[in-house]
Amino acid sequence: MLAEALAHADSLFRLAYHFTGTEADAEDLVQDTFARAFGAASQFTVGTNLRAWLFRILRNAYIDSYRRELVNPVRGGLDDEAPPDASPPARELLRDDEELERLRSVVAEDIEAALMTLTVDARTVVLLDLEGLTETEISTVLGCAVGTVKSRLTRARALLRERLRDYAR
Amino acid sequence: MNVMDCNEASAKLLDRRRNKLDARVAAELDAHLETCEACRAEDAKDAALTAALDKLPRRRASAALKRSLETRWVARPRLARTGGMLAAAGVGAALAAAAFFLFFGWHGRGSSDAIFAEAVNDHLRVLYAEHPVEVQSGGVHQVKPWFAGRLDFAPVLAFGGDDEFPLQGGAVAYFLDRKAAAFEFKRRLHAITLFVFRADGLSWPTPSRSIGGQRASIETQRGFHVLLWRRDDLGYALVSDVDERELLTLGAKIAGESHE
Repeated sequence: MLAEALAHADSLFRLAYHFTGTEADAEDLVQDTFARAFGAASQFTVGTNLRAWLFRILRNAYIDSYRRELVNPVRGGLDDEAPPDASPPARELLRDDEELERLRSVVAEDIEAALMTLTVDARTVVLLDLEGLTETEISTVLGCAVGTVKSRLTRARALLRERLRDYAR
Repeated sequence: MNVMDCNEASAKLLDRRRNKLDARVAAELDAHLETCEACRAEDAKDAALTAALDKLPRRRASAALKRSLETRWVARPRLARTGGMLAAAGVGAALAAAAFFLFFGWHGRGSSDAIFAEAVNDHLRVLYAEHPVEVQSGGVHQVKPWFAGRLDFAPVLAFGGDDEFPLQGGAVAYFLDRKAAAFEFKRRLHAITLFVFRADGLSWPTPSRSIGGQRASIETQRGFHVLLWRRDDLGYALVSDVDERELLTLGAKIAGESHE
């Protein structure tokens, strides 16, 4: 089972990097994830989704380790934040165009910095979607209903766009 | 055909671009977008976000990390699969193998090699315990007294952690066949367990180096380093997957300060 888990090392590392912000801490977090998976191997049901199980362990390991240690502790889940107004913003077209231009001009560093301002769950849902996980897999990672994933993803992306306005050059 | 409002539409824009909508819903959304300038703008911006996210570098785990994961966590289950092959070869053979393992396993506990292997197992048991730390650290003078009445010896430990190796707390654990005081230190995200236990009746390895004025032995098993030393009636085992030099640094601090 853990031999198969090795195939997910790169994607686990990427999420760990976007959680911790440094390669050294991301490596430690992936090691911790494998240690926990090794310890809990008997709880894994063969035939169920190994990738989602590993991502869930990684997320929980991050929350366990870093909540106690970070100077700026991880804020609560996505639901702690006021959701953006679901209706389309009543902005002038010109401002939409400006926002579009800014989004097109951002570079990788801007996006990474903006991602770090999101809550753990908001970051998780955006990044796992980017990794190609299905809504069912993401719901396993986050421990929420499948139906909740879509709304969380929509809100997280809207929030990321909002944050990116400040980073665009 | 239903008339879609902006709330419904905005929740489906991403799925539309990924061709995940069924034909009927896609047609309803298209009809909405034809008449709604705000949602078209929203769609364009969200598409721009997707393009922006594609700029993120596709980082990969280093080869060293993958090697380390394989050595520590994957090689061990391979041994288990070997056991499974034995069983497939015949129940009798498997039973014989199990009897062999049990006999030599238990008798081997007294050997100096087994003490390292058991130290790693005991370290993992502490890590996977529901409450690895039963008393949170407020310094060694808070943790040490907590063991009074819980052990039949007083663990001697003067080093109370520092910025490099903060003391997280302590718990009663088992080391081999006996109760031990387990102190948890941290080095970045690595957990380091120090077991302090009665040293009598154990087969100790020949010391190979000196740390903090004490003669000690170090060995690596399954990717974990184990540093062992004894002083008077007590034995000390320091176990972690942290870098060996860092473990020796912590060992020197503990061995040096524990007996001053």
